Amino acid sequence: MCKSIEMTRLIRCVMGWMVMGALMLTLSSRVVAQEIKPDLSGLGRAARPNELAAWNTDVRADFQGLPPGQGSVKEGELLWEQKCARCHGSFGESHSHTNPLLGGITPDDVKKGRVAAQAPDSKVPVSTLMKVATVSTLWDFVRRAMPWDAPKSLSTNEVYASLAYLFFLADLVEADFVLSDKTLPKIQNLLPNRFGMTLDHGLGSVNGKPDVNQPACMKDCVVGEPKVKVMPTRMKQIHGNLEDQMRDFGAFRGVTLETKAAKP
Amino acid sequence: MSSFKSWRRAPENFLSAQTLEDIQRAGFDAQRRELVAKAFLAATGSAAMVLSKSAWGASVAQEVLPAGARTTVGEDDPHILQLPPHTTHLGNPVAMRGYGLPSQYEGATLRRESPGLTKVRESSVAFTPLQNLFGIITPSGLHFERHHSGWSDIDPKHHRLMVHGLVKKPKVYTLDDLMRLPSVSRIHFLECGANTSMEWASPAVPTVQYTHGMLSCSEFTGVPLSVLLDDCGADLSQAQAVLAEGADGSSLTRSIPMDHALDDVLVAWGMNGEMLRPENGYPLRLVVPGVQGVSWVKWLRRLKLGDQKFATRDESIHYIDALPNGLYRQYSGIQECKSVITTPSGGQRLIEHGFYNITGLAWSGRGKIKRVDVSVDGGRNWQTAALQEPVLSKCLTRFNLPWRWNGERCILQSRAIDETGYVQPTYGALRAVRGSQSVYHNNAIQSWRLDATGEVLNVQVD
Repeated sequence: MCKSIEMTRLIRCVMGWMVMGALMLTLSSRVVAQEIKPDLSGLGRAARPNELAAWNTDVRADFQGLPPGQGSVKEGELLWEQKCARCHGSFGESHSHTNPLLGGITPDDVKKGRVAAQAPDSKVPVSTLMKVATVSTLWDFVRRAMPWDAPKSLSTNEVYASLAYLFFLADLVEADFVLSDKTLPKIQNLLPNRFGMTLDHGLGSVNGKPDVNQPACMKDCVVGEPKVKVMPTRMKQIHGNLEDQMRDFGAFRGVTLETKAAKP
Repeated sequence: MSSFKSWRRAPENFLSAQTLEDIQRAGFDAQRRELVAKAFLAATGSAAMVLSKSAWGASVAQEVLPAGARTTVGEDDPHILQLPPHTTHLGNPVAMRGYGLPSQYEGATLRRESPGLTKVRESSVAFTPLQNLFGIITPSGLHFERHHSGWSDIDPKHHRLMVHGLVKKPKVYTLDDLMRLPSVSRIHFLECGANTSMEWASPAVPTVQYTHGMLSCSEFTGVPLSVLLDDCGADLSQAQAVLAEGADGSSLTRSIPMDHALDDVLVAWGMNGEMLRPENGYPLRLVVPGVQGVSWVKWLRRLKLGDQKFATRDESIHYIDALPNGLYRQYSGIQECKSVITTPSGGQRLIEHGFYNITGLAWSGRGKIKRVDVSVDGGRNWQTAALQEPVLSKCLTRFNLPWRWNGERCILQSRAIDETGYVQPTYGALRAVRGSQSVYHNNAIQSWRLDATGEVLNVQVD
């Protein structure tokens, strides 16, 4: 083929090959496309505006999604006693259901945006306000998940009011403060641990760089006697009789324990 | 060794030949069942017959044997000579139990809570009994539980999945829609980010159920998330993260990075060949291979694409890792390479000296397990264990090492290496970087001390 030196025939010949090649490419890509991307039309339907509005309630750190509304410290105080204090305590200090909301923060923390009581030798129990770095997180979570036994029952203004009171209890705002979609962003600059997060680690991605990687020593890896910590006997006992947690046949039994009855 | 005398073999049979003949002749009715119970009492003397509730509510007769009851060497075994009723009578019919149950003798194999760990049971943990399991698949009824606002059994006919945000076509799917889509099945481990959290500072809990039992492994079936995102016309030039939201009371939310969302994430309805169990997200959950369990959002109802992560409660207040410098690591999701010996393990007692199979589990959120080494001398010397096939990516791998116990005290450890070359760290190495307040992502080498009495204790070696 293509032996003719006549220009037109040559061009025709080359073009013929190009057409054939293009045809083959089209055919092969169709085969691949059928495997990877089937026609799924008809499955699922368009989401309707009211449906989207009903579920699209999340609020991000840049306050995207924050609805207009407001609530005062005063309104929040009443609401707090009615709907929040049972679990969180009148001052946000209770441990009864979860870690305390408040405690462990100082005016200096508020100024710096880092909580000093976060230090590893600190004996202060960790509270929510010692950790949270984004005020939107509090708004979003109260809206979606609080109160504990009646989530999503608070109105938008009640969410603002309850948080206004929490910020008052935390000494971030005065008693006459009104929290709203306009003032919430200002609280961000008062959060005591607002600079307390780091993304500088390898645990965010499958390709992230690990922070430890020891060599896999095989022989004479420990010099001298290894330092051994042993579990306290008390911890063994509160988990019930281990004999009842293993089979009574097979390679092993469970250790028999005189148990201190665990609370139901 | 005197302590061996009190150890017990499997329950003995104390039925007389006469009773057995009687049962063979006339069948095993209620009256004879009682007779058998009395015979046990008479035959065992000091032993007592107790009725106890089995795990599934039925009353089960259990023998309590006198100390030292064992088949004597050189004597014929009555379990061989005297045929039991199940060998001489007709058994139960098919379909007596339409959805099968474990044997009545498996009552020790249950999910359990760790007392004092949490304050409310609706936001709590029930641990998988790893000490009693084999292979790599977790039976669905033993998959660990972690809920943030309790669990519900949701009617799948009323369940909806909404996909919206940075997409051309925001859509709603029913289970009818989803289960017609091209589905895949894959086996993956699922580990809570707080697994082994109680052990950061020192050994605190007695058995592998409590040290490592926020871990399970199942075959999941579902549609790749990438198929759904494509179907909705995802804006891949803008989107950075997918917000996944559950239909539970807390409507738990987590941000999934876009590169992972397009990789191997599934929207799953199947688990181990059946539908998901309600405690594990029935009828729909996210499967995020290699990443901590909280991102595997259960009762999944909404996926929203955004141009940044969403800073939700469970990635801003919880599931953040405290560092010694007072900072918290945020969006720390990957479960790094880890392993644990499940036998011999804490709270177990070996029956006698001699041969044992040291066996355990290894896994990595970054890929396949390449090697597992085992030490029986507290980390001084190591030997490489055999890996049981299959060895799959982001999946539990079972390892085995044949071993003879000579009765001396020793410390057993396992150390896994994944396909990236990463070596599971010692407690010393991990604490040097992360301190002991991190709560999350403790993947340090676990040590079990086997004492001369045969008892295994949870210890830590730096």
